[in-house]
Amino acid sequence: MDCRDFRLQLDDYLDGRSDERPMREHLAACADCRGVHRHALAVQQSLRKLSPPEMHPAFADRAISRAIRPDAAEARPTRRAVLGMALAASLVLGVALGVYLSLREAPVQTVALALEKPETVRMVFSSAKPLQAATLSLALPENVEVVGYSGQRELSWQTDLREGQNLLQLPLIARGTVKDELLARLSYGASTKTFRVKIETNNLGRSGM
Amino acid sequence: MPPVSPYRRARPAELNFEDLLRPQVEYLYRLAWRFTGSVADAEDLVQDVLLKLFPRTDEMLGIQRLRPWLARVLYHQYVDSVRKRARSPILELVVDADAEDDPMDKLPAAAESPEEHAERVGSRERILEALRQLNAEQRAVVAMHDVEGYSLEELETMLEAPLGTLKSRLHRARRRLRELLSMEPFSVRQRVNR
Repeated sequence: MDCRDFRLQLDDYLDGRSDERPMREHLAACADCRGVHRHALAVQQSLRKLSPPEMHPAFADRAISRAIRPDAAEARPTRRAVLGMALAASLVLGVALGVYLSLREAPVQTVALALEKPETVRMVFSSAKPLQAATLSLALPENVEVVGYSGQRELSWQTDLREGQNLLQLPLIARGTVKDELLARLSYGASTKTFRVKIETNNLGRSGM
Repeated sequence: MPPVSPYRRARPAELNFEDLLRPQVEYLYRLAWRFTGSVADAEDLVQDVLLKLFPRTDEMLGIQRLRPWLARVLYHQYVDSVRKRARSPILELVVDADAEDDPMDKLPAAAESPEEHAERVGSRERILEALRQLNAEQRAVVAMHDVEGYSLEELETMLEAPLGTLKSRLHRARRRLRELLSMEPFSVRQRVNR
């Protein structure tokens, strides 16, 4: 057995579905594949060890009573809105905006884009309650495009916001020098709230970093 | 399917529903969290499933192994909800800020021992983030097979999908996770600031 065969059969081996002897022999002889095997086991163990946060003690009662009497069910308790929360670790570029259609001014965040290099800007919208059919409109500064919407400076979607935190992933690309604001406008019923994100270009794209 | 006992048939559906489902809510929540990676999404998913199941209380009374049957209902509800959400620009719900660890706490040391290597693979936020990169079907098969321990043959019946499809879905998901959780010289978070 060579390394290629070993790696092709690795998952079957992990599940006890392959001929074990040639796999074991190869493992004994090949340090690289031992490393691959060890890593595969470590990933599986880590998945098994990943325990969910404890269920809220009142959740079972609440969920069952809502299922039995959906019309009489009380509104879901409001989750607190979180401003500037920690974003997921994989963010290439991120900005957190606090929202819930209140009168409070959202802080202006700055995002730096490299020229001609798509970057995903993530915006977190925290809503105190579910919003059905809210309208999200974007006004892009000159020289900035949403990937896939070439040449469009105004974009609009109708969407549902869930109670709690909602993540908008916005793949942006700078086509030229930018030093202006992107406006994200969220409208729901008669209420509108506008968020500003300052976009600037840097020369990272040109330097090849 | 065994006949439903006349005693249970005569009881109000509310009582039967509660008897059947209350012992299963925690299991459903746990599985839903493994699918979604978020407490809020897991609660919503379980709630949606319970709402759908109450009118099917009589049917559930006749099911011998309720847990795998419920897991199947949860799986279909999850896949449906992900598809619905994919049509919206609001793509996903961020994990609750107060329910997950701060990823900034998980930055690796510059040089690491084999023990630290294993620990870093196991970092909670890294794994959750890697799982987020899988599609809904892949996440579900990893959760149900590699974590909850259902065999592929059981899943073939539960998810009504051919064994070969499930196997290739599982293997593809595992390969992706291994790549994402590979030992990079820097963590994903550090690459943000390159």
